[in-house]
Amino acid sequence: MVDVQSVAVIVLVGLGLFFTFVSTAGVLRLPDVYSRAHTASQADTLGAGFTLAAVALALGLETGSYKTVLLLFFIFVTNPTAAHAISRAAEEDGIEPWTTDDDRTDEELYRDSKVETDGGENE
Amino acid sequence: MSDNRLLVPVATSSTVRQTVEYAVRTALDGEGDGYVRFVYVHSPEVSDDRLDDQRESDVETISELLDRITVWAEEDAGDHAGELTVETDQIGANRYLFSPSDVGAALAETAAENDIGRVVLDPEYDPGVGSPLLRPLEVELTRLTEIPVEEAPVQRQVRRRPLVLRSSPLQAGTLVFVSFVFYQILGGTFDAFDLVTGAVSATIVGVSLARITFNHDPSIAWLGRLLRMVIYVPYLFVEIIKANVQVAAVILDPRLPIDPRLTQVNAAVWGSVPVTTLANSITLTPGTLTVRVEGRTLTVHTLVAGPREGLFDGGLERAVRFVFYGRSAMNMPTPRERGDTEVLQQPEDADTPTEEAVEADGGDQQ
Repeated sequence: MVDVQSVAVIVLVGLGLFFTFVSTAGVLRLPDVYSRAHTASQADTLGAGFTLAAVALALGLETGSYKTVLLLFFIFVTNPTAAHAISRAAEEDGIEPWTTDDDRTDEELYRDSKVETDGGENE
Repeated sequence: MSDNRLLVPVATSSTVRQTVEYAVRTALDGEGDGYVRFVYVHSPEVSDDRLDDQRESDVETISELLDRITVWAEEDAGDHAGELTVETDQIGANRYLFSPSDVGAALAETAAENDIGRVVLDPEYDPGVGSPLLRPLEVELTRLTEIPVEEAPVQRQVRRRPLVLRSSPLQAGTLVFVSFVFYQILGGTFDAFDLVTGAVSATIVGVSLARITFNHDPSIAWLGRLLRMVIYVPYLFVEIIKANVQVAAVILDPRLPIDPRLTQVNAAVWGSVPVTTLANSITLTPGTLTVRVEGRTLTVHTLVAGPREGLFDGGLERAVRFVFYGRSAMNMPTPRERGDTEVLQQPEDADTPTEEAVEADGGDQQ
């Protein structure tokens, strides 16, 4: 039996999965630590957001669903803080953000940074 | 190395006056002329200070403090003023002295330069690199130098902190209420046991922690802010979804190039909480990432042109102003109109970066 609630839950979980997938692809595809931090936060915002919304909907109006809202709230507070901390640490380490004018090769980037490796598919 | 050449790190403290007196007495005690060098150690720039644009006035305050100390020292020397040399100095202004060991190293360097024979520490001394400083600083100095370190014997007012910190009933009451509600949400059963244990825990939390939670009494304005925050959250959600779709398209479609640039925006919000809210909202929105916050200057890394234009159009900034200052504060020029935006990494082959960005964008952000 398929009712409206189940369909909505499936759609929300699907959206959550989609954005988590996009985020994973982004982490693999994007060139440097800063741009990867962008897309890593996507998984937390919409990926976790839609999934938690699906959980709340599946549970219906009971205490569990309040808790998912609280979870989402805490994710939304802590996730940007962590992303900011990572990028700030990168900046303090003197890592130059990659730009389209940057024509260094992956090997050079790797030698310069000794920290990050590049998926190598970007241009 | 002579024993009556002293180095005294100073800062604004309740016992600095007595420390000066002790240092002068010690310096004059030995044979020959005394020498005291008072140094002010600059602490790492605490963001709250910088938010208030206090850097300039800080420098004045420090000079005033050092001047005052010089006057005190001369006063204390009295008839022996001729035998005493007093010098003052500031160190660390151009460096990032972060930990007790950094401060220790800087002090040891100054000591070596000035042929210092002894370091006198003010027991209340704290240059602001983390609260429990004095003990580690003594250890560091002993490790780094041969110079004896001593604490000035001062009379301190014993500060016994009350277990229950001073807070107004309103603050405590608000916190009790919030904790109680939170407890009940987590418990979720609303039966007698939960209500009683919740009330007890909430009272303990509210009474003991209210002063940490609130700086001011919660007021009507505070409540208004909270309500406007509730309006702000859905708006932020919409922004997040819009930006997510843009960034997802760029990531998934190999034909769409990324165009990462570091930008700088002087946000028209003031105070640590509003700036933090704005910076976190910017980071939450995919495509823009706050890399650094200095005062109200945000260094933002932008991944693609769309969110970058959105950032320059200041939608989030306006919304944050709405939350914290009310509706009337919304009608300010956008950061772009104010000229508060800057692309730090200009593209090499474009005449004007904004034109290029607008082309790429289609201009439908915000």
